[in-house]
Amino acid sequence: MFDLEKSIKKWLKTFSKYRAFSHGSIREMELHLRDHIEDLTAKGLNEKDAFNKAVTEFGQINSMAKEEFSNQIPKSTIISILNTAMIRNYFKIATRNFWKNKFYATVNIMGLTIGLSIVFLISLFVTDELSFDQFHAKQAQLYRVVENQYYDGQPVFPVAVTPTALAPSLKAEYPEIENTTRLFFDNAIFESGESKIVEKSGILADKSIFEMLTLPLVDGSIEAFKENLNAVIIDEELAAKYFPESSPISKTISLDDEEYVVIGVMQNVPNNSHLDIRYIRNFEKYLAQDPDRANSWGSNWLYTYVELTPDTDLNSINEKIIGQIKANNEGSVTDIYLQPMSDIYLGSVDFVVEVSQKGEMIYVRIFTVVALFILLISCINFMNMSTAQSAKRAKEVGLRKTVGGTRKQLVFQFLTESVLLSFIAVIFSAAIVAVVLPYFNQLANKQFELSLLINPVAGVSWGIGIIAIALLTGLIAGSYPAIFLSSLSPVSSLKPDVVTGKQGSGLRKVLVVLQFVISVVLIIGTVVIYKQLQFIQNTDLGYNKENIIYLNVPQDQSELFANELRVKTGIMGVGRGSNHPAYIMSSTSGIGWPGKNPEETILIHITGVDENYMSTMEMKMIDGRQFEHADSAVVIINEKAREIMGLDNPIGQVIERGEKYTIVGVVGDFNFKSVHVPIEPLMIFKTTELRRVFIRYNAANSNQIVASIGEVWSNLVPDREFDYYFLEDDFKNLYEAEQRTSQLSAYFAGLAIFISCLGLFGLVSYATEQRTKEVGIRKVLGASINDLFMLLTGDFTRLVIISLFISIPIGWYLMDKWLEGFAYHIELSIWVFVFSGAVALAIALITVSYQSIRASIDNPVHALRSE
Amino acid sequence: MISKNLTAATTKPLILGILKQGKSYGYLIISKIKEMSGGKMKWSDGMLYPVLHRLEKEGLIRSEWIMSDGSRPRKYYEITEMGKQELIVEREQWVQISSILSQIWDTDLPINTI
Repeated sequence: MFDLEKSIKKWLKTFSKYRAFSHGSIREMELHLRDHIEDLTAKGLNEKDAFNKAVTEFGQINSMAKEEFSNQIPKSTIISILNTAMIRNYFKIATRNFWKNKFYATVNIMGLTIGLSIVFLISLFVTDELSFDQFHAKQAQLYRVVENQYYDGQPVFPVAVTPTALAPSLKAEYPEIENTTRLFFDNAIFESGESKIVEKSGILADKSIFEMLTLPLVDGSIEAFKENLNAVIIDEELAAKYFPESSPISKTISLDDEEYVVIGVMQNVPNNSHLDIRYIRNFEKYLAQDPDRANSWGSNWLYTYVELTPDTDLNSINEKIIGQIKANNEGSVTDIYLQPMSDIYLGSVDFVVEVSQKGEMIYVRIFTVVALFILLISCINFMNMSTAQSAKRAKEVGLRKTVGGTRKQLVFQFLTESVLLSFIAVIFSAAIVAVVLPYFNQLANKQFELSLLINPVAGVSWGIGIIAIALLTGLIAGSYPAIFLSSLSPVSSLKPDVVTGKQGSGLRKVLVVLQFVISVVLIIGTVVIYKQLQFIQNTDLGYNKENIIYLNVPQDQSELFANELRVKTGIMGVGRGSNHPAYIMSSTSGIGWPGKNPEETILIHITGVDENYMSTMEMKMIDGRQFEHADSAVVIINEKAREIMGLDNPIGQVIERGEKYTIVGVVGDFNFKSVHVPIEPLMIFKTTELRRVFIRYNAANSNQIVASIGEVWSNLVPDREFDYYFLEDDFKNLYEAEQRTSQLSAYFAGLAIFISCLGLFGLVSYATEQRTKEVGIRKVLGASINDLFMLLTGDFTRLVIISLFISIPIGWYLMDKWLEGFAYHIELSIWVFVFSGAVALAIALITVSYQSIRASIDNPVHALRSE
Repeated sequence: MISKNLTAATTKPLILGILKQGKSYGYLIISKIKEMSGGKMKWSDGMLYPVLHRLEKEGLIRSEWIMSDGSRPRKYYEITEMGKQELIVEREQWVQISSILSQIWDTDLPINTI
């Protein structure tokens, strides 16, 4: 018996052998066949004959498949997915959805915008930090020679400066060392016409520096550098300043009252260089003035850079040169090694003497992690909002699947939505970055310019980068919702679980906890950093840093200068010293005292002051007395020195440092370096060769003080610019990195908690919206506002509390690590954590309460009438 | 009987021409062609569909499934603006070919009859 249905099915099966035919076109052809058979039977054929005739007339399937397949070949590319009609539909659905859920879309976009803005700013900062010194063409072959000094009973003493004779001897003895240059920082008074200006950031260097570093000349040549010791090369900025009208080449300029000829103008050294070089003088010039120094091995005072031949193994050359100083300087305790150029700026070793441009790898790392975390928080918002709203989308998914939408298409649709959303966020955040860039520059102490982003080369890569970030963020944030939503089966879209959005709520809770853990850790970090900074700034330095002005006065005039100032009103004391009180770096191991073990080398820091210095600085004497005017060959030691020397009663004892000096007093320990390092032994000698004048003034007359100091200055040193400094400002600068971190982390923590709360706000709003009717009914049945409030907020509050408990140990651990970097630091107290937790909880509660209270006090009639 | 190659060449203007008269579905299109050619054009019905799909992909026609009560769902094809333009071009070409052919044959005829 002929079975028509069976035969048709069998016939259709032959089509499915060919991949060319889509489901739709097979269906189309089935309908064709059925129409044809119907017509034929109407003409009187029986079913079997009609079927056979229709199939015969339909023709060979394989040749059709070939033809159909040729239609489809290009379809297997991405275009088939990105089918324009489809895309347009996705966009339409996406924009409709945003429009329908304005509130949630706004919350999402806001969170992502803030997150992305932070990512952009931090990536600017991080890429800049990592780009330091990359502009040198030979960067991979460049190294700096640094030292490790070993003293008995003291930790390793790392030093970045080296002796004069080191560079020539390294070059002469080791073939791997292709080139060397000595480099020494220099200030000079530039004189042009009337004005005399101190230019900082100059260097004295060997001619080979131009072969090693990338310092291209825009004018002139370096040829004359070797022969003419009075040659100088200036950068474009100085050229424009001193020779605004014409080329400076071969013109003369006075540096420190000596005639120099400008032989070259070099390009401004980029900001991302650890060496800030604005003019270069010949190092030989220096040696010509002090020829003895050329062969000196004893004094570490200049930076030595070397260029290795390509492919030299760093370890093997380091092994060879380690004893270079010991071999040439008997009794030396110094090893040397090469530090790669790329390590100098972000290197982890805290050298005792170091260039001023120094970054901190730890901050680069911290900020990178913070940026990623903040981005994560905002992505979590997106995920939570999307999955929570799955109820609303479930019906759409069900319908799409019923009419033949594949899962792939659904995933793609949801991803389109999230990518679109993140693109909108990217555009907003680009605008935000443009607006806040100047403030960020101030905070981060950088000079980023917007033009950087429009620059043809960097701009393109930025554009690509931004698009990549938007795509990536969209994909990360959208992947979970897309997979989750597309997995809903058409049948389950009608089930209550999905409809109330309860599915996936477990993961949602985990994500909320994660957000708050991150936020609370950031808050804890901010509080600890802030407290530590307060501690540093208020810590007893051992002297009074407030209300002190200091200046550098020519040595021969400093005493007269001090004496003239002393009689002025409002000036309470004037003292002179050879060093800044927070920057005493000179040290020697060549001091002897009674009972010292001659085998031991002990490093002792030294400085020189006059008889008024200690009283002006308000340093405290522990024992003995301060210097007096008539004193000579006397010394005051600090407590730490007394301890190390092991003298119970040091007053009257005599020490030896070339000559003999009598100890007349013991001064209370004061921090003469950063508070990152512990106080070291110090000897203060009474000397007369002093350039620094410290003036303690009465804060009440501070305005006129500067004027009266200026008056004395212009009388005594009329040809020099009047430059003065406040001691307090130096401390601000000294802890600038910490200060900056403190401010940035405060902003970041604030934004992190803001984004988290934004998400929480969205979730609570949604949950409340879902339960409007429940609340109405409960209220009618007699539930109090209080009960309802607890019902609505309980869940979320619990989550925030859980995250507090997780974040406290993490915060404790991290901040403990950070504090270890300070020799003097606060103890982590439980109150820091209680405070941080309370802040987070309070903010979260306020967020949660707003919607819940509104729902709780609403008239139940509104809730129940709403359908 | 019209040759296979020629049949293939005329498919496009035929389909476009039929659709210009109003939207239609596959079976109806093929029935119409058969009817008009009086069975002289040998087509296997199935070959129509790849052509329809290609034309749709080229944007000359568009399709939609129409479910009407009381009959099978059908995939209707409709000519697009672009399709109408294409039809004009096709038509001009066929007219040219036809005129060339008739010129040749008109001049040939007397010679043959002599």
